[in-house]
Amino acid sequence: MPEDLQPAISSIENWGLKVKIGSSIGKRENTFGGTDEERRKDFQTMLNDPEIKAIMCARGGYGIIRFIDMLDFNYFQKHPKWIIGFSDITVLHSHINRNFGIASIHSKMCNSFPSDINNAEQVQVKSIESIRKAMMGREMTYSGSTNAFNRSGNGVGILVGGNLKTLETLSGTKSDLNTTNKILFVEDIGEYLYSIDRMFWNLKRTGKLSGLKGLIVGGFKIKPDDPGEDFGKSLFDIVLEKVKKYSYPVCFDFPVGHQKENYALKCGVRHNLIVSTSGSSLVEIN
Amino acid sequence: MIIVPPYLHKGDTIGIVCPAGFMPMEKVQSCIETLQQWGYRVILGKTVGNETGNYFSGTDKERLNDFQHMLDNDEVKAVLCARGGYGLTRIVDGLKFKNFKKRPKWVIGFSDVTILHAHLYSNYNIASLHAPMAAAFNYGEEQNPFILSIKKNLEGKKIVYRCKAHEMNNRGQGIGELIGGNLALIAHLIGTPSDLDTKGKILFLEDVGEYLYNIDRMFYQLKRSGKLDRLAGLIIGGFTDNKDTERPFGKTAYEIIHDVTSQFNYPVAFNFPVSHEKENYALKYGVGYKLRVGKSKVSLEE
Repeated sequence: MPEDLQPAISSIENWGLKVKIGSSIGKRENTFGGTDEERRKDFQTMLNDPEIKAIMCARGGYGIIRFIDMLDFNYFQKHPKWIIGFSDITVLHSHINRNFGIASIHSKMCNSFPSDINNAEQVQVKSIESIRKAMMGREMTYSGSTNAFNRSGNGVGILVGGNLKTLETLSGTKSDLNTTNKILFVEDIGEYLYSIDRMFWNLKRTGKLSGLKGLIVGGFKIKPDDPGEDFGKSLFDIVLEKVKKYSYPVCFDFPVGHQKENYALKCGVRHNLIVSTSGSSLVEIN
Repeated sequence: MIIVPPYLHKGDTIGIVCPAGFMPMEKVQSCIETLQQWGYRVILGKTVGNETGNYFSGTDKERLNDFQHMLDNDEVKAVLCARGGYGLTRIVDGLKFKNFKKRPKWVIGFSDVTILHAHLYSNYNIASLHAPMAAAFNYGEEQNPFILSIKKNLEGKKIVYRCKAHEMNNRGQGIGELIGGNLALIAHLIGTPSDLDTKGKILFLEDVGEYLYNIDRMFYQLKRSGKLDRLAGLIIGGFTDNKDTERPFGKTAYEIIHDVTSQFNYPVAFNFPVSHEKENYALKYGVGYKLRVGKSKVSLEE
């Protein structure tokens, strides 16, 4: 419903920007925001509209894969604009990085803007505020907390990544990420440990972990093991055993994911990842 | 041409292992007895009934060594995985197939064992047996046609499988090597060294306990990675115990699959008896079959 968008609209207008609502907002086709054709058409209209400088997806869920091959990116390639969102929007980030080399913003979406920004938690306000900064061209810097499992190091590369499950299901397709010489970030929610393990094996066995400049592990809200099915390995074990042959920096608990502290990251832009015993930092470099 | 391991004779040995999840010994008992009644000797790997206190039937090393031992032991003519679950991805790249390549033997199982079937087929061109595992050999089930199909296949008998036509089927016939398995694992293997080249093949797929949106997503992955383009035929087995999101997906699993596959001309058979349920025929992975999808009947003939 459009009223659910009000907090996002108010904030964005407060930033001095104008808001245009797409025709798929408030539409419903089962789990989707309209039929494939309605969603495609709405997105295409935004891509082709010269007045639109950024497209923020109101929410993720599941559905972009169903129409991405029908989108025409010709105008977008000539006149790039910011595509904003995360989770299922990982499909778009990955697709436009792989095919067009155009940067995009991995961040919270309309459904995460607090209804009362003055009384919202600081990390949430800062996360929302980071979207504005990213859109308006500020060079971004981020810091992650210390974690005993972090692997120290320093790497420079183009930042790519997103939702791990979504990335796995892009394997072998024309939207599949090339991660060589990149800094890869991943996050996920609601997956069992065994499934996270399998997805990291997919990254490893498809060659996506071998040529990295750095690995950023964001939030992982893990689905608890069923009784008697204790997986016996932690997220840290799962990740570190896959990358032990390589020497690039690895950091955990980075503030990206399905959580309040989820800062806007510029996919496709060069960053410097520095991980040390006192924490991690990610700095945009141009 | 696919390399088909030697068929079994009475007195031959079958090795049983648990390469993934833990399985208590008592649950393997009826399988052992049935295999013995069929005239085979049975030896058990260390991972069978190996109480680890966690999900797995042993550490990666224990599971790897146990499977490796069965691959390398010339006495063993077939390796039956007692159960799947999760775990083969963790050890498949550590397995050495040097001896196995020289003296192929039957690798038997399904679900997580899909990884082995695909890996053996893609890398070594060696046939294996996609079939029910130990849990399906419950007392009283020894004579069901699905369990008996394992015996017949191991003896080298050629079987013609038949089932009723499904309303969503696409009629026609196709000849090709039969490959496939569990959808989630076939999708997971895309881009890895165990990935399947599906061109000119008959592809079969089944799954259990998946969210409907995830079935949709995996079929889009298959389609977008070209896996569905040039098949000789497509066999859709059971898609059972599906889960749904709070806002319903709005289609059944078969409707989802039909939506993606209806653009292709090759024969498609829905509701074929390959599944996580009792209806699960033993299929020779990598061997040539003819799929006939008719008005009222479907047949799959070696």
